[in-house]
Amino acid sequence: MLKKYRPFFRAGSMDTMAYRFNILMWVVVTVFEVACTVFLWLAVYRSTEGGIDAVINGFTYKEMIVYVVLTTIFGFVTFGSETLWIINNDIKQGTIGNYVIKPISYRGKFVASNLGSYATLVTLFGIPLYAIALGVFAGIGFLPITSGWDFVGHLGLFVVSGVLACLLNDTIGYIFGVLCFYTSSGWGLNSLKTTMISFLSGALLPLSFFPAVFRDIVGYMPFAGMSQNPILILMMKYDYLQSLKVILIALGWLILLELMAKLLFNHAIRKVTVHGG
Amino acid sequence: MRYVKLYFTCIKRSMLSRLEYKKDTVIALLSFLISNVCSLCSIFFILQSIPSLRGYSVVEVGFFYGFAMLPIALDHLFSDEFWLVAYRRVQLGDMDRHFLRPIPVMFQMFAETFQPEGFGELILGVAMIVVCGVNLQVAVSFGAIFALIVGAVFGAVIITSFKVAFSALAFIFKRSGPMLQIVYGFTNYAKYPLAIYPKFIRIILIFVLPFGLFVSLPIDTLLHGTYNPYLLSLGIVGAAVAFFALATLVWTLCERRYESTGS
Amino acid sequence: MRDETFPETAIHGNANRVQWAQVMIEVQNLTKVFRKPVRGKGLIGMVATLFSRKYTETHAVDDVSFSIPEGEIVGYIGSNGAGKSTTIKMMCGILTPTSGKVLIDGKEPYLKRRLVAKDIGVVFGQKTQLWWDIPLIESFKVLKEIYQVGDEDYAARMEFLSSVLGIDEFLTQPVRTLSLGQRMRADLAASMLHNPKILFLDEPTIGMDVLVKEKIRLAIHALNQKYRTTVVLTTHDMADIENLCSRIIMLEKGKIIYDGPLGDIKHRFGNVKTLTLTVPPSVDPNEVKPFSKDVEALVDEDKVILRFDPERVKLEDVIQYAFAQYHAIDMRIADISIEDVVKQILAQQEGGRHAEKV
Repeated sequence: MLKKYRPFFRAGSMDTMAYRFNILMWVVVTVFEVACTVFLWLAVYRSTEGGIDAVINGFTYKEMIVYVVLTTIFGFVTFGSETLWIINNDIKQGTIGNYVIKPISYRGKFVASNLGSYATLVTLFGIPLYAIALGVFAGIGFLPITSGWDFVGHLGLFVVSGVLACLLNDTIGYIFGVLCFYTSSGWGLNSLKTTMISFLSGALLPLSFFPAVFRDIVGYMPFAGMSQNPILILMMKYDYLQSLKVILIALGWLILLELMAKLLFNHAIRKVTVHGG
Repeated sequence: MRYVKLYFTCIKRSMLSRLEYKKDTVIALLSFLISNVCSLCSIFFILQSIPSLRGYSVVEVGFFYGFAMLPIALDHLFSDEFWLVAYRRVQLGDMDRHFLRPIPVMFQMFAETFQPEGFGELILGVAMIVVCGVNLQVAVSFGAIFALIVGAVFGAVIITSFKVAFSALAFIFKRSGPMLQIVYGFTNYAKYPLAIYPKFIRIILIFVLPFGLFVSLPIDTLLHGTYNPYLLSLGIVGAAVAFFALATLVWTLCERRYESTGS
Repeated sequence: MRDETFPETAIHGNANRVQWAQVMIEVQNLTKVFRKPVRGKGLIGMVATLFSRKYTETHAVDDVSFSIPEGEIVGYIGSNGAGKSTTIKMMCGILTPTSGKVLIDGKEPYLKRRLVAKDIGVVFGQKTQLWWDIPLIESFKVLKEIYQVGDEDYAARMEFLSSVLGIDEFLTQPVRTLSLGQRMRADLAASMLHNPKILFLDEPTIGMDVLVKEKIRLAIHALNQKYRTTVVLTTHDMADIENLCSRIIMLEKGKIIYDGPLGDIKHRFGNVKTLTLTVPPSVDPNEVKPFSKDVEALVDEDKVILRFDPERVKLEDVIQYAFAQYHAIDMRIADISIEDVVKQILAQQEGGRHAEKV
């Protein structure tokens, strides 16, 4: 049953590989960006009472640096989805009609293709970068690992949480893509999606910085599971119980959002006329 | 001049196209507004936790942020088509018709799209400046204001230059969108006072990716009178001219490498 | 055959007069080679491609030469992938030759692109020059400014184009609402707005119904008559060629295989008609007696293709024969296709070479 999705899986990985130059540039520049962020936080901490050792909203300076680096790497793997643009293009070209009548589900095509991308990115970049990052941080004492088994346990939960994050990103990307049915402004939607996600997922800054009123709300939203939670699991700032709790929340959201996506798609297809040509 | 008239004819056409999609224009404007608000909240939340940032008060940091949005907004208004060039148009082979016309392709890219979404950012930026500005305890001098205006306008020229140059790379790589995105991302680091960065980063943000040049320095001049505003303005204008000339050169060279696709 | 082409300055017949006309397009030893990296198969192959430097070369256009005088309408034909679009793109300046050169009114278009652009008009079948979402007339207004067409010229030209292409019917509609035929007429009008010396039309009638095709052909003819516009037309439609072109240049695999007057082709290859029959299983097509040596029969499983010259053998006779002898249950009549003409010419060349050897 799943075999028919294979060509899309392949295409997804190959597409990613073809962007070699862009990836190289990205690496160089991200280092610079991370450096800038590091200095920003350094300035923030230095301006606080207690300086470097101060704890701001639950994070020491060292923990903040670890958080920033790990989130950046994670973001690279999970945020690379081009789903929105492909859907937008399909609508504009009118080819959306083809997909609606094919036996391969439109949604399925994206899942398979994106999984291909993720798989490649994780293998080529995610795993080695994480290995290096964690090794370095553990080595210089930024990330104290007291118990080996404890770490492994958290690592396992991190992988689960990470996969959920990818799927959530995929679903949300798809939903925004379907919203393109209602408007021609793919650009605006994309910008909204990217900023909203990075803001509400903790990629820009940990969610503990949100004012008390919003903290709980944001914590329960699906976005939290897309960036902050997997990382905090890995950093062992969540104990097992908390980790399981956030994983279950993420899973629940995934199911709910998939349903929403399906409903939205059906509604969109019925309501909107395809651009003739 | 002929090209001025031509530009306005094209822009008029662009607005006509946009008016066809009123709903979409509004959505786009709102999206960008919300995006900017999110970014603003982030910095606001961080600042809430600390008394000051390297000696800059919350209000002052807010002023930096708001002012930085001005050159970004101005650039957004005029050079939006270059994003499409970098991401799609070269790759899809959609540039042919521009090369078949007797006017420079680069000019056509500027004339193709006028992006009113930029007004959203412009308004937000101005609002921030006003709100933070009235709370600033500072003696306002004519020179500093002059430097600020120069910074905003010619800073936009510098940002546009980067856009032009990196989108031109699409002629060589077929798709230079991600590269452009990354360089454009550097403008985020211009939103903070340069003082928080160590010296070598400061140098990069003044001379290489001069986003700090037209944001941080004029504001510092306003707040602390650090630099001679007229010399600074001269420097900014000079940098703008230099970067734009360089960008035009890169574009011209890359344009030659354009090959129409297909059989 | 190539030696029969026109000398440097061409003799151009116009009604009963013969006049010397200047050369508008000159193509000398034009070659275009495309290099593509060799793509490995599968995932591993893909990774290998990242590191390899192997390329395959395709000669899309191979040592092509011809010259076209002012006012001529040339049919530039060949099977798909023969190199037609590539040549046209080099003549427009959006593709640079690997070797050889193109001269448009004495200038090389890929070097002096903007200068040459003033003198040419281009219509690519699939892509449009116009802006999608705004009324057609607005696109024209912008083009008027871009090409610096004077107000009087613009008014005169619009009137002419309206009368000949009928675009005034949909002048106020956005281009995206137009049918294919209307959009093509609009594109044609747009390409003619600045009265270019040369018009390049790449498959202008593709996918259109017969009536619209007629209209477009008449428009091109009218333009050529009134302004002495040189036209280079690529098409797959024999009717286009018969109605418009005085000269044919035929391309196959990047090389010219024929360059001469249209009359010659028809004379040489005649008016071949093909009758495609579906034969019932009860009949063995190989057992059927041939009609005569003038009718060629090709068998392909349950289909039989009969080819003949309707000037030599009457169509009704062949049809009768098909029903009587083959008990055909389905039949389709078609004119010769470009592909067939190409095959015939190539076959002739082969035959000629054999004859030489003997």
